Amino acid sequence: MHWRTLLQHIGTICVLGGALAWAPAWAHHVLGRPAYALNEDSNTPPALQLEVQIGDYFVTSMVFPAFPKSGKPARVNLYARHLDSGNPYTGEVRFLVRDDKWFADEPELLGVQPPNDYVFRQGMVFSADGNYIISAEFEADGEPYVIDFPLRIGNPAPIGPLGLALGTIIFVLVSVSVIQRRRLPGARIRHEHRDARS
Amino acid sequence: MAEAVTKRPFFLRRHLNKLRWVSLTTVFLMLIALPYIHVYQTFVAAHAYDFLAPSEQQLYDVVEFATAPLGDDPAEDLDAIKGTTWSGTFFGLKLSDPLAPLGQISASKGVYLPLLISALLPIGLTLVFGRFFCGWICPATFLYELNTNFAAFLNRIGLPMHRRRFDRRLKYLVLAIGVVLAAMTGSALMAAIYPPAIIGREIYYAIALGGFGAGAVFFVFTLLFDLLVARRGFCRYVCPGGALYSLLGRYRLVRIQRVVEDCNDCAKCNAICEFGLDPQRDDFGQECNNCTACIAVCPTDALTFRVRPSDQPDQGPGHLGRQYRKCAETGEAA
Repeated sequence: MHWRTLLQHIGTICVLGGALAWAPAWAHHVLGRPAYALNEDSNTPPALQLEVQIGDYFVTSMVFPAFPKSGKPARVNLYARHLDSGNPYTGEVRFLVRDDKWFADEPELLGVQPPNDYVFRQGMVFSADGNYIISAEFEADGEPYVIDFPLRIGNPAPIGPLGLALGTIIFVLVSVSVIQRRRLPGARIRHEHRDARS
Repeated sequence: MAEAVTKRPFFLRRHLNKLRWVSLTTVFLMLIALPYIHVYQTFVAAHAYDFLAPSEQQLYDVVEFATAPLGDDPAEDLDAIKGTTWSGTFFGLKLSDPLAPLGQISASKGVYLPLLISALLPIGLTLVFGRFFCGWICPATFLYELNTNFAAFLNRIGLPMHRRRFDRRLKYLVLAIGVVLAAMTGSALMAAIYPPAIIGREIYYAIALGGFGAGAVFFVFTLLFDLLVARRGFCRYVCPGGALYSLLGRYRLVRIQRVVEDCNDCAKCNAICEFGLDPQRDDFGQECNNCTACIAVCPTDALTFRVRPSDQPDQGPGHLGRQYRKCAETGEAA
């Protein structure tokens, strides 16, 4: 009896231990989304979703994956629907990319895509992190359509040019006031008195 | 000669200007801290830590560490102070800049009572202390005064700056035009050119939304205007909020006055006054923001606070000054 009880306890511990040992892997697949699955085809929210009415069309555009990174595939999906008839656009769409900065280079052609189940899918791989502008161009009823939308690849820049300029201004103002704090009141008074005399 | 003020100044007066700088710095730093706290609260509420970018996780960790002593539930406990100096909540008390309800009333041609009520305390304080918001709280003043120091530094090294003077009444015209335009367009346009509102907004944009807007560029132009054209030019000649505070503070109860017996006519008070007033001749008017810079710089402690609804008329030359002594010796009226 004693041995049977002991064996029962050992069996229980083994079953529970085994179950607990498997639990993380189970949760890994069922409850969580493994990091390696966050690619452009995974079921994640888009990095960017754009819905815009332009001319006679209502255009929806999405970029996948949720956090596009340099060196990793990303994809833009575009769908255009005629406002009056509701018919989807079935021509071709040209996708271009350029840097999002004041003096950017000429746009680079990513590709020309035919519809695939009424959706225009353009794959791309960015070699460097940064801010880009994706342009989608198509022509319908003799009218050109161009849709620009921004896309950030990689982590956001910690500080932009305007932020850098303002930060520099504040740094200079604070530094001068602190370093010159003993001389400035006297200088201001002398300057004002000189102005008053003249 | 006018009636002389004979009471002695109270003992803390010289340190008020330092206290004012502490106040300005605190307000400015709060405007930076609050958006960070708000972003952190959003991350906490969304349980989004694992989905954040590394820099955002760093922000989360730092704010979590810094605010840990303030409470266990960030979403609730960190809500004590929210908003900006334009409109916000301070430990449950809702406060608004008086320009906010004025803009709302003129734009909508109706009164939104909660907004008006939130401006009552600032209005009451302005009726007592005058344009104190401009001197003690306005986040733009923090940068404008640093800018004045920078101009003094440039003057010292031989680069003449900000010498022009304009009519002070210009800002009342700006306020009136702002009210009329708001009524015509249905939009509270004055907030677009009101520096404290701009700073609160732009800091929030930069921290929570990832970049500055056009208001930041406008504010840089006001700094350049102050630096190159007129000292504190925007506050003195353009600011619609400054105009409103000046009007409300015209009959303020607490005001700086000169103790003529202690004055030696050194005119340091006039030189240091950011708003170009004339304390040496008892001319403070409705423009004075009680910043106390003149009190701090006075070598003979001849400036102090008094409770009275109007300025002392010109008391004549200071009794410790050369002109008064000369008059006394020759028996002429000063």
